Amino acid sequence: MASKSEGIQQLLQAEKKASELVNDAKKRKTRRLKQAKEEAQSEIEKFKVQREQEFQAKVKESSGSKDDFAIKIKDQTHQKINDQNRLAAANKNKVIDRVLSLLYDIKPELHENYRIN
Amino acid sequence: MALSDTEVQKQIHHMMAFIEQEAKEKADEIDAKAEEEFNIEKSRLVQQEKLKILGFYEKKEKQIELQRKIQHSNMLNQSRLAILKERENLIKAIMEDTRVKLGAATKDQEKYKGLLQGLITQGLFQLLEKTVIVRCRQADLKLIKEVIGDAVKDYKNASKRDIVVNVDIKEFLGSEISGGVELLTPSGNIKISNTLESRLESLYRQMLPEIRTTLFGANEGRRFTD
Repeated sequence: MASKSEGIQQLLQAEKKASELVNDAKKRKTRRLKQAKEEAQSEIEKFKVQREQEFQAKVKESSGSKDDFAIKIKDQTHQKINDQNRLAAANKNKVIDRVLSLLYDIKPELHENYRIN
Repeated sequence: MALSDTEVQKQIHHMMAFIEQEAKEKADEIDAKAEEEFNIEKSRLVQQEKLKILGFYEKKEKQIELQRKIQHSNMLNQSRLAILKERENLIKAIMEDTRVKLGAATKDQEKYKGLLQGLITQGLFQLLEKTVIVRCRQADLKLIKEVIGDAVKDYKNASKRDIVVNVDIKEFLGSEISGGVELLTPSGNIKISNTLESRLESLYRQMLPEIRTTLFGANEGRRFTD
């Protein structure tokens, strides 16, 4: 009966096929893990880009607020200086008169610690 | 008795199916494991880098905020300084206006005489020297000679000290001076300037708080006034 060796051949072939099945699965696994790295990388890049955009938006907003503030401060400063000028002009003569009246009013005095000896 | 051919074939087929089944199950197990590890690894990598990126941007954004605050503070500071500088200029201008008016004092002779006498007496009180030289403008020489005696008398009465006062007839105060006197010791080492200009300057310095309040109103932010 030649079927004895035939049977063994069949079994050997089945083993071979089985072993290939398993090896293929192992190869798939290796590839899948490599994919993990690649997909992770692309997701990370996407995230980075998005975060960078958010950041740039904040930078722009901050710079805009600075300009607004500068203008506001400049106006306020002008306003305060104008007010000051007005006040000074209004009260100027009062000051001049007061200073002159003190200037001409001279009261000579000895120093308070002076001892007559 | 050996098995028949058919039975042998049947057994072989069973074994083959078994082998194939085992292999498929093993392959499926490997696939499932691969998927699980794929998810874990991808997740881990993404998370790790995300944290780094978030930290990086957080730091950067804090810096931007800090810069913004510093710039704002600087702008406020510049504003305050500009306002104060303007104030200072205003006060200087008013002092200049006052100085221009000093000449009027000398027009009223009687009043000016009294002023000169007072300035001399005050100078003598400050010097407390044995010999003093009084220097004046050439135009005031006559008036000075009229009042010097009384000034010396006042000094001697108050201090109970003797003094010799001479009027400088060789050197005079410049004509840009509006009035007043200078008093010197004979060596010229000690000099008191009691010109109207000096008095004005010293008065202005001492009166600055009052001047500021009169011109601009009281300072609400000020906590101590003594």
